[in-house]
Amino acid sequence: MASAVARSRERALAVTYDGDDPRLLEKIAPLIDVIEVSPDAVAASDGSRRYVRPPVLDEYAALRGKKALIAHGVGLSIGSFDRWNDDYLHLLDELFARFDLAWHSEHLAYTTVAGENTGTMFAMPRSEDALDLICERVRRLQERYRVPFLLEHVIQLLPDAPAEYTPAGFLNAVTSRTGCGLIVDAYNLECDVHNHGLNLAAFLDELDCSAIRELHLAGGVEHDGFYLDVHSGAVRDSTLALGLEVIRRAPALAVVTYEFLKEAVPVLGHDAICAELTRIRTALLQ
Amino acid sequence: MNALERQQRGLLALIKDRGDVPDDPYLQRVARSRELAMMRGIALWWRALAVQMQCPLTTRLLKRLGCFDALVAAYFDRNATSPFVEEVSAGFLASLHGHGDLLIRAVSRFEHAVLAVKGGSAASYEIVWDRHPDGVAQALETGAELPAPEPNTLYRMHVARDLPGMIACVRETEEANSE
Repeated sequence: MASAVARSRERALAVTYDGDDPRLLEKIAPLIDVIEVSPDAVAASDGSRRYVRPPVLDEYAALRGKKALIAHGVGLSIGSFDRWNDDYLHLLDELFARFDLAWHSEHLAYTTVAGENTGTMFAMPRSEDALDLICERVRRLQERYRVPFLLEHVIQLLPDAPAEYTPAGFLNAVTSRTGCGLIVDAYNLECDVHNHGLNLAAFLDELDCSAIRELHLAGGVEHDGFYLDVHSGAVRDSTLALGLEVIRRAPALAVVTYEFLKEAVPVLGHDAICAELTRIRTALLQ
Repeated sequence: MNALERQQRGLLALIKDRGDVPDDPYLQRVARSRELAMMRGIALWWRALAVQMQCPLTTRLLKRLGCFDALVAAYFDRNATSPFVEEVSAGFLASLHGHGDLLIRAVSRFEHAVLAVKGGSAASYEIVWDRHPDGVAQALETGAELPAPEPNTLYRMHVARDLPGMIACVRETEEANSE
């Protein structure tokens, strides 16, 4: 199932599902092809050990043979100056030991500094030093898991640091040096356009779109004049239109994923989530 | 220290509001930005949500006393907080164990003990209350007025997995102790 997704010429529809809501799973399962697992979101700690919660593993196991699984992390902290987060890799090891994941992915960012969790996600500075560090770690991940590894650009909320690369140029350098794939998040791009005036046309023209394997769609919130990537809403028409443009440019794009936070499910509602999946499939995949 | 390390350590200090801004033009610009305040607000909101979900009694008490946000922010700023809700909640509750308010101390110790025992701890935890703990719990559940401290009286509670119902509590009075 997993390798079929990786090889398929048909684009698949994926959705975030972090467990503990069997009624939601029952409703969304007929509408999607792939489940996106966030190892951090399905993990627990007993104080000394971090592990994937067994009931959630069982939920995913029940989908074996019916739905493909992909893993999308938040806590690897691939860009930390000193070291990445080994606890995250242990979670990923657990998932790989049990499931045939089509690929795994992370954010091009850091959440940990000198071993301390920052409580948020910082975008990487686009410097030669940062590029070297990221590429070396991508290669180690590729050797460790032997399935495709994808990186996702994150929103740039803080003022941009002095840079040696453009946003697209930095992504191109990572993909060309390592062969890793890209996730383009249409909503994140809209945030960067709104918050910092990213030139979207120039970004897409410069980006090597042949590396894009996955498209993320989400709806966020506006706060104090800023667009924030708190994935908690329906996908706006403009985001869908941008997604369609990305698909048009990305011949190897295999999966379109609708993302929402588990905390947003009670607000969104099961029916609205299902309606979004149907809307996305109709607009982008048919 | 290379440029990447300097920048990352600087941003950590800024998001945690840890005093002097490093002498670096970029970090100085970030420190003055609206965006930093927003990012810090979001980080604190997530920590507060984790505490709220895991520690409802302590959250209700601190909100009622008007010090919830300030205590969560202080805990986030001064500590290497965990991304795991179980750890951030346990750490936050532990940070209140020495609080000057006896009721905050008792409620946080009680909730910490219950979480630990439910999580598999074989330890026995003692919590001393200056008023009836059932009355406190009920007031926090219903929004009713908190019971007043009882003069010359304390309630010695034990939380352990081998106790029937996990909890035992004995009322002790000064008169009884002096006999």
